[in-house]
Amino acid sequence: MNGFSENMDRPRTGLNRRQWLKGLGSGCAGIALASLLHRDALASTSAWSPPTGISHFTPRAKNVIWLFMNGGVSHMESFDPKPMLNKYAGKTIAETPFADVQDPEKLAIERLRVPDANGNQRNEIYPLQCGFRKHGNSGIEVSDWFPHIAEHVDKMAFVRSMWTTDSNHGAQTQFHSGRHMNDGTFPNLGAWVHYGLGTLNENLPQFISMGRRPEWNTRDGHYLGPSHDAVSLQVDPQNPLDYANPEIPFSPAAQSIGRDLTRQLNQMRRDEFPDDPAVEARIRSYELAWRMQSAIPELFDFSEETQATQRMYGIENETSRPFGMKLLAARRFIEKGVRFIQIQHGGGGAGQWDAHGGLKKRHSASAFEVDQPIGGLLEDLSRRGLLDETLVVFATEFGRTPGSQNSDGRDHHIFGFSVWMAGGGLKQGIVHGATDELGFHAIENRHYVTDIHATILRQLGLDSRKLELPSHKRLEIDHGEPILDIIA
Amino acid sequence: MFRPLTLLCVAILALSTASDSAGAERVDYLKQVKPILSTKCYACHGALKQESDLRLETRELMLKGGYSGEAFIARDAEHSLLIERIVADPEERMPPAEEGSALTAEEIAILRNWIDQGAESPQEEIPADPSEHWAFRPLERPALPVANDEPAIRNPIDHFLAAEHQQLGLTPTEEAAPVVQLRRLYFDLIGVPPPVEEVLAVEQSPTSDWYEKKVDQLLNDPRYGERWGRHWMDVWRYSEWSGLNGQLRYSQKHIWHWRDWIIESLNDDIRYDEMVRQMLAADELYPDDLDKLRATGYLARNWTLFNRTEWMDNVVEHVSKGFLGLTTNCAKCHDHKYDPISQHDYYALRAVFEPYHVRLDMVPGETDLVKDAIPRAFDGLLQEPTYLFIRGDERNPDKSAVIEPNVPETLRFSEVTVEPVDLPHSSWQPARRAWVFESHLNKARERVVKAEAREKSLSEKTDSHPGDVSVAAAELTLAERELSGLEHRIKAMQSAWEAGTREAAILKNAPDRELARLAIQAERDIEVARAQKAVAEAERKLSSAAEADSKKLKEQLDTARNALQKLQKAQEKPISEDDRYTWIAGAEWTPTRFTISTTDDPEVAFVPQSSGRRTMLAEWIVDPRNPLTARVAVNHIWARHMGAPLHSSMFDFGLKTPPPENRELLDWLAAELIESGWKMKHLHRLMVMSAAYRRSSATAGGDQNTDLDPENRYWWRRQPMPLESEVVRDAILAHAGTLDETMGGSPVEGDQQADSHRRSLYFFHSADTVNLFLGNFNSPDVTGCYRRESSIQPQQALALNNSKLVLKATPSIASQISAGDEDDATFIRKAFLVLLGIEPGDEEVSASESALKSWQTEAGSSPIEARSFFIWSLLNHNDFVTLR
Repeated sequence: MNGFSENMDRPRTGLNRRQWLKGLGSGCAGIALASLLHRDALASTSAWSPPTGISHFTPRAKNVIWLFMNGGVSHMESFDPKPMLNKYAGKTIAETPFADVQDPEKLAIERLRVPDANGNQRNEIYPLQCGFRKHGNSGIEVSDWFPHIAEHVDKMAFVRSMWTTDSNHGAQTQFHSGRHMNDGTFPNLGAWVHYGLGTLNENLPQFISMGRRPEWNTRDGHYLGPSHDAVSLQVDPQNPLDYANPEIPFSPAAQSIGRDLTRQLNQMRRDEFPDDPAVEARIRSYELAWRMQSAIPELFDFSEETQATQRMYGIENETSRPFGMKLLAARRFIEKGVRFIQIQHGGGGAGQWDAHGGLKKRHSASAFEVDQPIGGLLEDLSRRGLLDETLVVFATEFGRTPGSQNSDGRDHHIFGFSVWMAGGGLKQGIVHGATDELGFHAIENRHYVTDIHATILRQLGLDSRKLELPSHKRLEIDHGEPILDIIA
Repeated sequence: MFRPLTLLCVAILALSTASDSAGAERVDYLKQVKPILSTKCYACHGALKQESDLRLETRELMLKGGYSGEAFIARDAEHSLLIERIVADPEERMPPAEEGSALTAEEIAILRNWIDQGAESPQEEIPADPSEHWAFRPLERPALPVANDEPAIRNPIDHFLAAEHQQLGLTPTEEAAPVVQLRRLYFDLIGVPPPVEEVLAVEQSPTSDWYEKKVDQLLNDPRYGERWGRHWMDVWRYSEWSGLNGQLRYSQKHIWHWRDWIIESLNDDIRYDEMVRQMLAADELYPDDLDKLRATGYLARNWTLFNRTEWMDNVVEHVSKGFLGLTTNCAKCHDHKYDPISQHDYYALRAVFEPYHVRLDMVPGETDLVKDAIPRAFDGLLQEPTYLFIRGDERNPDKSAVIEPNVPETLRFSEVTVEPVDLPHSSWQPARRAWVFESHLNKARERVVKAEAREKSLSEKTDSHPGDVSVAAAELTLAERELSGLEHRIKAMQSAWEAGTREAAILKNAPDRELARLAIQAERDIEVARAQKAVAEAERKLSSAAEADSKKLKEQLDTARNALQKLQKAQEKPISEDDRYTWIAGAEWTPTRFTISTTDDPEVAFVPQSSGRRTMLAEWIVDPRNPLTARVAVNHIWARHMGAPLHSSMFDFGLKTPPPENRELLDWLAAELIESGWKMKHLHRLMVMSAAYRRSSATAGGDQNTDLDPENRYWWRRQPMPLESEVVRDAILAHAGTLDETMGGSPVEGDQQADSHRRSLYFFHSADTVNLFLGNFNSPDVTGCYRRESSIQPQQALALNNSKLVLKATPSIASQISAGDEDDATFIRKAFLVLLGIEPGDEEVSASESALKSWQTEAGSSPIEARSFFIWSLLNHNDFVTLR
């Protein structure tokens, strides 16, 4: 076997039987290792090997709940109060003492521009549309539109100094993968985690997505392969995932006889082709599918949750119910060991938070949909002692302009915005980074979106550089740097 | 600045001293040292570049050293250049910051220890010059090896494999059962299962030449083009358009014309080299041939709304990977780390494509480009310079030198020249194509005929509302004027063409001023007629309006009358030199938005010349002297027939991939492809007629084989393969007898797919729109799919268990297999043969029989229902989705 060394593999069956079975065990969603390897055709000198499913260093968190607000949440009306906007309301930026924010050099990070009709920045200062109050022992200020989240500021780490590069909603893929849609498609954070860590529970998919995803952001695995896509679930015990139940119903007894027969026949086939790993993989995939079929609906059956718990998540209120149910389901999934849960909020066009006009009405309504559920989730997780090992992330693709658009809205803004995280071994009750007085530029401890990824991966015990595939070199900025200041 | 570095050095010294005194573990050169040098140093200090005359690939080369002397002194890491340089100040450090990150303390310690322990290594061969890499060497047809007495030698392919088997002590498996072979041929060549009667015939009494006959028949079946078309669509990145809220952002509308061209070309056994030529440059080679122009959908598919560099990068990367097996994309930001491809080479390839944009050409019979048209490439930016982007950053072009189009230097077997191509008028003035005016005229005439009929019928009826009659009359006038206006414009345009005038729609440029005047006047008349019709309609509405609406309708009528008055005034105005008539377009540039995302870029006009750059590239790719093209093509074809490629990477034939075990076979097949006139059907026939293809996939009884070659690298057995997503779905419908075999045409839209029975390759498939069922079975990733993903996922199980597709098909499949009058055992056996290609054993039959009973006794099913359920179980059998 000349030219063939131990640490290199290549296709045919791609992997030997032992490796294949191991591959099956480590990722509920599938066995893609074989094909990954043929994409990579590794050099015999390469030291690369696929991840083992074991953390690279001691993890501080086990699970992630990733809450993504589609459309772009105004940082100024959520977690980064800017009283100067009230003081200079109606003035142009040039008329304020902060005219230098429009220094072209500072604006140069923007690659794809979506200007107004005159090709300009939104220029006329738009006052804050909500009040702010201090909360908790930390005294962190939060907008009045998020009263339930505000109760938990002492558990949270705010990053008020985010920036990204492109002013259209392709920035959503950027916050998930580190690259704007115009750069092509790249694996999302959840896919990397799934690829790196694999399973905690063999009955459930390890990477789950809930909520509507804009059409350009519907896949996760990309070059890692479709088996690292999130499994999309709907909060509906009757039909929680695609093909969960027969689309033409028939008797459970008949189904069970048929499954038994499939199982038996496949086992006979395995005995006949002992060296064909696909037969064994197929058998296991069926067993897993059948377990998922019963395990997943149970998790969406909230009858064993108390009224009080359901109320805490805002499920009793029609407006906050849809998001509340997703979050309650998320907690139940966390308890069963699901690794990464990606929840999107805000459908319609590019996303419900995309308030080019009517910001006050639209943002306050959107906030109402998510506030109590998120507050409830944080409360519930900490009561159950799950917050220590669960990292909750609240993110959005970019912020909104200090200047007004359409008289009562704000435009996309990439130069400064806010996200927050809670739990999972992060510091509690702190604010990290800052924007300038207008909320225009992140000026202190600036962070590109992948710094959030690096922070999460670090808490999970993963080193993104060790996960990298030889055939897909990543840039430094793709890896990001963990935000050490917020890690406990 | 220096401080941390000094500290680091001290720390490393300490580390190394400590480990030495503690008796550091023996460093393993191959496992520990070589991987570090390989990733960190070889790119510059290897055979490829030999910077500073220094190579580090073997101990000997390191000792030979470079300009600054030997790389290390054995047992003296302290004074070894290698160590000095990797721990040096940032300006001196190796690798330089722009080439790679510094070595970690751990890696430095390994190198140190290795040197201090005597720098031992096993004897190593010195790697050859990269341009001598096997795949870059000219293709020579190897002689057929003498194969002694392997029983099953059917053709030259088997000679190569038999020679290896004998050398290695492998014994190939027996020929598979006829049913298995029949199933293989059908799925492999046309993508659907064999019909029941053929399965039974071949199982019961195969004739001696049934196989050869079947091969010929299936290769001549038009479904061959669909099956293999889908393979090539993977490689060539076929994708329907995608975007946001209806805004086109990627690929093109109507791109399916290119898909149909692929299918037709394969069915006609068009030469592979010719197909490549047409996809890259049909607009220069066949500018008048709309059928062939469809081929440039290959280029149109890469169209991108917002970013030219993303577009160009995609073209360069995938032309290189798809046709040449070269990862030129690795040379976008810096010279290639493994292959002899410079960053300059990368941008020289980009320059080949720099002038091209995409347009929609009108097809006969349809004037509305939204409804149908052919997306195609054309050169519009002949003067556009290409610059090298420093470190690949599009914001940082090196404007000191314009990069000329060229092919990678190392692979330039002869000088390439770019000859600009003069295009026929019909290409850059597409309205000159006969059908353009004809289609417009026909449409206008139809409108007149319709309007006449309507006017006639309304005016003849006694009870017609007079308002309706007026509207119909106005409509007729409009239609007539549109027709006559069209005729005037056509005459004016024809006179301009004859005179050779461009921009002739404007009066001052028109060669025949009278014709231009008439055309301009006719358009004014049309506008007036349109306004008159609007007035008639407003009057009609008002005449029967309810009281409540009348105010609003009166206002509308006033507006219409005012508009008419204005147009009537304009109609009377003398025609000025700057007035123009509307030029009739036979094609439309697809606008891009590279600079501002809300505004179209300035229009890219059609010009009488094409750069000839893509023709140059195409001719170089398909030149028989090109060492890569045929090898890459053959590897694609082999992988799809045989379940695995000969060369492990489909798209990287460079130095990073180990050479194939069966290299002589690959080379022989590549030579055969070229010498057969690039005929793919010839190659298909060769492969499926080989004994290698016809072997059993079983390993039972072949313990020696599995020990010697567990991965089946030497093809001693058939490689089982998963059926692709499209084939799984098509097979279910075909078994049920409900597959709609209509060929070609616009794709089945996402919301129509659930109820469609068309073949899966006709489903709309893009980055955003992936059919749920197909997606579960690893449907192709439109951004790049040189080989299908083959993962086995629980979602596949759920889809086969629960989808309507399967559940609806099962009763029909049961009745297709047996009329119902056969006993259970016969039915079971037939179902196994037809659906799985398996002759069931006693155990399988008895398990099936007992399940059939259980359905009736325990689930209360009728015998017929029980058989449907049984089919349901078999569709979930591993071998239903496996080609054995």
